[in-house]
Amino acid sequence: MYLKLLVISVIIFSACGKGIEPEPEKTEVGFSGTITFIGEWDENITSTNIVLFKNEIKSAADFDFINIKYASEVIPFGAKSYSYNTSKNQPVLNSIEAGDFAYLAVAQTTETEIQLVRSAWVVAGVYNSESDSSEFGKLTIPEGEFLSDINIVCDFNNPPPQPPGGK
Amino acid sequence: MKVKIIISLFFLILATILNGQTGSISGSITDANGSPLVGANILIEGTIIGTVSDKNGMFELSGLKSGTYILEASMVGYKKNISDPIIISGNNIILNITLTEKILQYDQVVISAGKHKQNLSELPVSTSVINSNRISKKNIVKIDEILRYTPGVNVALDQVSIRGSSGFSRGAGTRVLMTLDGLPLSTGDTGELVWEMIPVTDVERIEVIKGSSSALYGSAAIGGVVNIISKNITSKPITLVKSYFGVYDNPAHDEWKWNNSYRTFNGITASHSNTFGDFGISLSLTRTEDLSYKRNNDLKRYSGFLKSTYKINDFSKLSFIAAGYSHDRGNFNFWKNSRQALEPPDLDLGARVKSDRIISGLIYESIISKVFSYNVKLSLYNNYWKEILGSENSSRSELYRAEVQTNFSVSDNLLIIGGLESSISQVSSTIFGSPDANTFGLYAQAENKFTKKLTLTAGLRFDYSKINQLDAVNSFSPKLGANYKINEKTILRAFAGTGFRAPTLAETYTSTNASGLIIRPNLELDPENNYTLEAGIIHLFFDKINFDAAIFHSEYFDLVEPTLTSDGDSRFIQFRNVTRARIQGIDISTGFELESIGTSFKFSYSYLWARDIENKIALKYRPRNTIYAEAEYTLGSFNLGTDVRYLSKVEEVDRELIENDFVIDGDKRVDVFVIDLHAGFSFFNFNIPANLNLNIYNLLNYNYVEVIGNISPIRNISLNLELLF
Repeated sequence: MYLKLLVISVIIFSACGKGIEPEPEKTEVGFSGTITFIGEWDENITSTNIVLFKNEIKSAADFDFINIKYASEVIPFGAKSYSYNTSKNQPVLNSIEAGDFAYLAVAQTTETEIQLVRSAWVVAGVYNSESDSSEFGKLTIPEGEFLSDINIVCDFNNPPPQPPGGK
Repeated sequence: MKVKIIISLFFLILATILNGQTGSISGSITDANGSPLVGANILIEGTIIGTVSDKNGMFELSGLKSGTYILEASMVGYKKNISDPIIISGNNIILNITLTEKILQYDQVVISAGKHKQNLSELPVSTSVINSNRISKKNIVKIDEILRYTPGVNVALDQVSIRGSSGFSRGAGTRVLMTLDGLPLSTGDTGELVWEMIPVTDVERIEVIKGSSSALYGSAAIGGVVNIISKNITSKPITLVKSYFGVYDNPAHDEWKWNNSYRTFNGITASHSNTFGDFGISLSLTRTEDLSYKRNNDLKRYSGFLKSTYKINDFSKLSFIAAGYSHDRGNFNFWKNSRQALEPPDLDLGARVKSDRIISGLIYESIISKVFSYNVKLSLYNNYWKEILGSENSSRSELYRAEVQTNFSVSDNLLIIGGLESSISQVSSTIFGSPDANTFGLYAQAENKFTKKLTLTAGLRFDYSKINQLDAVNSFSPKLGANYKINEKTILRAFAGTGFRAPTLAETYTSTNASGLIIRPNLELDPENNYTLEAGIIHLFFDKINFDAAIFHSEYFDLVEPTLTSDGDSRFIQFRNVTRARIQGIDISTGFELESIGTSFKFSYSYLWARDIENKIALKYRPRNTIYAEAEYTLGSFNLGTDVRYLSKVEEVDRELIENDFVIDGDKRVDVFVIDLHAGFSFFNFNIPANLNLNIYNLLNYNYVEVIGNISPIRNISLNLELLF
């Protein structure tokens, strides 16, 4: 009698589902391209990274882990050209999902200890959509797409406008 | 009656003449079926003389001076047996005591609610008791695991909440106080409870006091108290070896597999207890290893527990207790995402925590007379932990604590308890700096049996707390309680009390960068306050069915919560007084035993309405509905049981962490629905002092989270063996 009850109970409960389930697999989203450096590197540079921001940098507070969705590995010092791919390199941070991103840039620091503080970084180059020059720094990644030719030019002799909160 | 008195007096005079000779009382303790009861407590009334029954249910109290003694024999789950007066005059008395199982569970003795011995049925406040037998059957290895099955208690990872008092703050400040034999076990830096401190094999019972208990226990008891009572030392040598081995099943989803081998867990405890004259000692050593079903969540731990007592005389005793462990575990905070739910983000791989913790305490108990007794408790809690990789934080703290408590029976009906306690905490840490904290508390409680039916309790406590150079905070916490026995089957209770919690050093001083999140100190934190109202009823239906119901209402002021905020230059998390909260609810529990067919059943339901009334949203991590059911079947030496646990999906979680992509897919949460099975066989009836238990946890392999991005244990099966020598 009790065994029957137990078996029936287990069958009923088994029908209740398995609880949390994984999200369906998504096609990887991301981007790749080439960074071109023009001019002489400042010899004090300690780290150069490609950084993707979700929201516009309106103040120093926006330069943080919450707003940064991608930070590449360190680009070798003195490079003239550097090819990257968000799915292949070993990024410091990668939480890219499809959507609009307000700012894609190459940032450099002279600090010996890496700090996530706006004042420690200088923007050396900013992504500029060739098709729409008004979309300065902006990047849109459609659902399920991997973008290529997201190229950035860093002209050390002609640096881009710096977002607020710098030195 | 007069004849009895005259005879007693005669023997008393005779005993006085023969004073100087010693005798003993020995015998056996069995249950109604004649099976020996191991670990039953035997105590001589009005003294500190006592022992526990050995593996054969035998006991002996020797070295008794000539006199008249009354013996109390008790065991959790059984009715207390009080003997007739026994006269010792150099002779040896043999007693065979039978303990019968309780029908009315509320006859059970507890000591935490009023800091003295009381029957559960006499309390003004809701209290649950968990006995060691239950811990053993379910192969519980950590105390917070068994609390998950306690009515009115909710556990999020290892953070315990009583009636919705706490959400989840990664251990930084708790609203529940845990004590070991009355010694508080909150750490000196974070104030967190470390459940691994106490090996479960050394636990006799756990008492859970629900609702604000600051009037007796001060800060941290704002939500309630969990008091762990350790086992008494045996008079004869007993060695226990308990070992277990278990294995986790494969995850329910192929995507979650991160390792091709089965993940196992195992542990072994060896303990020994014995008494040498006036000196008793109990020592246990435990090794635990868990490879874990989650990546980077493995654990290896060595722990030890020592309890020793020295009987100074028949009315005073000194006890020394030490408990500690050293462990090394992976630090799993959140999953990578729901497709890799058993793996941490890449950045957290390799992050580990090493901890060394030890608490040592000295307890002196003295019965001065029939009306006055006191005890002194001194303790030192050394705590060290260090994070490897990750944020590389480390902290070392020492918490010194002293308490003196007096019990004064003014009359047969009036008991006054008073006490004072003080603590000093010293911290040296990369995350909290090096602050000191001092606390002082003074309390008094009067308990008056106005009539045979009505008992009223009133108490008041003053607390003073000061951290470093910050302004001191203080608070008065009053309470009032009533217990009214309508008849033998129906008892009413009511309670009104206030609570107080001073911010911990961690909440005030934390300064770190954890997984990219900046946490900043807040020197402006105010203490939390609350008040609680409760009314309850106990009733016994048909002489078989226990029924307990309570309705409660709590108002919280200045609730401290970790808050994501910004100062314009950067975004950071800071502990702030952000919430004015209201928690209301009901607890209902019932149970019955059908002894004729060896079956027992327990059921409890809790409804919790926990709201942030300023922001008009639910408080985080508080399930609205909780159901817990347990069925046990016993046939001779065999037992079979099942536990069912249901918690409705929590309405609010750490939404900021989800919206800012710290916890990918963090909004995935469901109702909690867990079924466990256990089966056991006792070899005692075959003269083999051993128990074998099989456990299946999460039978349906149901996937749920208690905290976002952190899957709770998947189905696992374990076998544990207990051997007594």
